[in-house]
Amino acid sequence: MTKFIFRRFVSLIPTMFVIVTLSFFLIRVAPGGPFSSERHVSEQIQQNLLKKYHMDEPLYKQYLRYFGDVLRGDFGPSFSYKENTVNDLVSLTFPVSIMLGVTALSIAVFFGISVGIISSLRQNKWQDYGAMSIAVIGISVPLFVTGPLLQLIFAMKLHILPVAGWINGRSGILALILPAITLSFPYFAYIARMSRASILEVLRADYVRTARAKGLKESVVVAKHVLKGALLPVVSYLGPAFADIITGSLVVESTFAIPGIGRIFVQSSLNRDYTLIMATIIIFSLILVVMNFLVDIIYSFLDPRIAYK
Amino acid sequence: MANSINKSVNEFNQQVKPVSLWADAWRRLVKNRMALVGLWIVILFGAVALLAPVLPIYDYAHQEIMFQNIPPSLRPAGEVAISQAQKHLDHIQALIKEGRSDLQPDFEKATTDFAALQQMVRESPAANNVYILGTDYLGRDMLARTIYGGRISMLVGLVGTVTAILLGVIYGAIAGYVGGRIDNLMMRFVDIMYGLPYMLIVIILMAMFNREGSSSIVIIFVAIALVSWLTIARVVRGQIISLKNAEFIEAARSMGASATRIVFKYLLPNILGVIIIFTTLAIPSFIMAESFLSYLGLGISAPLASWGTLVADGVQGMELYPWRLLVPALAMTMFLFAMNFLGDGLRDALDPQSKNRA
Repeated sequence: MTKFIFRRFVSLIPTMFVIVTLSFFLIRVAPGGPFSSERHVSEQIQQNLLKKYHMDEPLYKQYLRYFGDVLRGDFGPSFSYKENTVNDLVSLTFPVSIMLGVTALSIAVFFGISVGIISSLRQNKWQDYGAMSIAVIGISVPLFVTGPLLQLIFAMKLHILPVAGWINGRSGILALILPAITLSFPYFAYIARMSRASILEVLRADYVRTARAKGLKESVVVAKHVLKGALLPVVSYLGPAFADIITGSLVVESTFAIPGIGRIFVQSSLNRDYTLIMATIIIFSLILVVMNFLVDIIYSFLDPRIAYK
Repeated sequence: MANSINKSVNEFNQQVKPVSLWADAWRRLVKNRMALVGLWIVILFGAVALLAPVLPIYDYAHQEIMFQNIPPSLRPAGEVAISQAQKHLDHIQALIKEGRSDLQPDFEKATTDFAALQQMVRESPAANNVYILGTDYLGRDMLARTIYGGRISMLVGLVGTVTAILLGVIYGAIAGYVGGRIDNLMMRFVDIMYGLPYMLIVIILMAMFNREGSSSIVIIFVAIALVSWLTIARVVRGQIISLKNAEFIEAARSMGASATRIVFKYLLPNILGVIIIFTTLAIPSFIMAESFLSYLGLGISAPLASWGTLVADGVQGMELYPWRLLVPALAMTMFLFAMNFLGDGLRDALDPQSKNRA
């Protein structure tokens, strides 16, 4: 088991290496640089600017320098926010996005699984049809429609929740509600559909029949026997879901004016703020890769049938 | 068991008509009412999008500055505009009666505006235009814009899917059929690509290469296609591996069929079902991706529109002019809804074993 975890962990390194290298060169080949959109400056100043950020060196040297810095945890200075280093910006905005994402994912998991249980136990009854219709809506309606609609209804018409902003604003924790619900909606829908399908499958399994034949209470059968087997697909979905939720938070952050890392990311790619783009990509991919790793480990604990290769 | 070549019997020795996979799947699909409704909606949307140039609608880029933000109505635009102005006038008058004498200059201005509007409506031929779904902030017909936006969105969905399928099927088929070290290498590459935050790469591509804005549609196509073939490549590879040692492949090989022929003539037709399911489920996700980019301001540029840009425009004034948000949002949601139902139905129909999978 330890060996499996270790090998799985070591396999993260080449992935991260490729991601860093690929995005570094992808960004550099693109036309335009961080200083190309600014006012025309004299040749000498341009040279000095490039020199200051080591951009006058050959590309491979820049790459090695950058790679070394990243290994030491230094993402370098930001090109467009001249007062701040990239590390400052990330440490300011990253917790915001993580908080939003974790809240949304918890909502999605909790309600998704509950709805999945209810509609599978009441298969083809009105509860099932109702819940599954909502789930298809959740999958079909894009985030940037849900967000503004919720704003329109709950903030502008009913005036019960703030239109936009973050929890450090005037309305406090209330500001988290709408963005988190918006962000969680598609994932809630997907988890609900997935858990319903897999619970239905497990309900027909032999060991469930055995459990019932032993005379166990239905609630015990569902909680102890069915759910344990049926929630495996949901667990393995959590890794990609978390990564997706962070991408989705780009839209939610711009809809609700939340100072998260997603907004910085969109800004930095428009400004060609090389270091900031790189930092966000590295962080996002690290989350993605680590989440997949964790899910694999959890999965192998939950499902003894998985061989530890 | 079979007593003649053409007739087959079931376990009760009754004759049954042999049914092909496709006929069987079609029967199952027709039985699924939601999927059928979805199919009809998709056909309707497709027909409208195809026929848009000959449909009796206004030009999607034509601006009637006089008729900005006209609400949906079956009456001519002139009448609607006048009644809107009348309402505004009455509102100010009522406020003045309540003691808001400071609004007197506003009232005078509104009165002169009203007279000018009546004059313009009398003279302008556009006053007879009927905007069933209203107009946007530049006085463009929302119906036409939604239809033309749908054209772009559907095109993106279609092109993205076709590219993804071509790339993915070829890649997956090669990896699966050749096997061994090459397969290992190719799939490791796919694994690594999976580790990339896909939407972020697309955003970077869009932001970096989209300088002039004229070729933004092409860049969207390339960006989306570049990262979208991975899933289908994996699926096709798995299917090919499970099929390539089957007896009918053995037979083909022993008759001297080349590898290309085996892959394209024998293997691919057998996994067509999987590919079709993937297609119907991929189109909505591409449309979502495009509108996602457009919403962030990285997608289609004006005067062209997609559902995404229309929604993004509509959000700007949604409190006062909700139809500008609701019309494109509803059209888009309906289409995605229909596509999802159709995809689910097709999956149940073509792959009965995976029935009810999420």
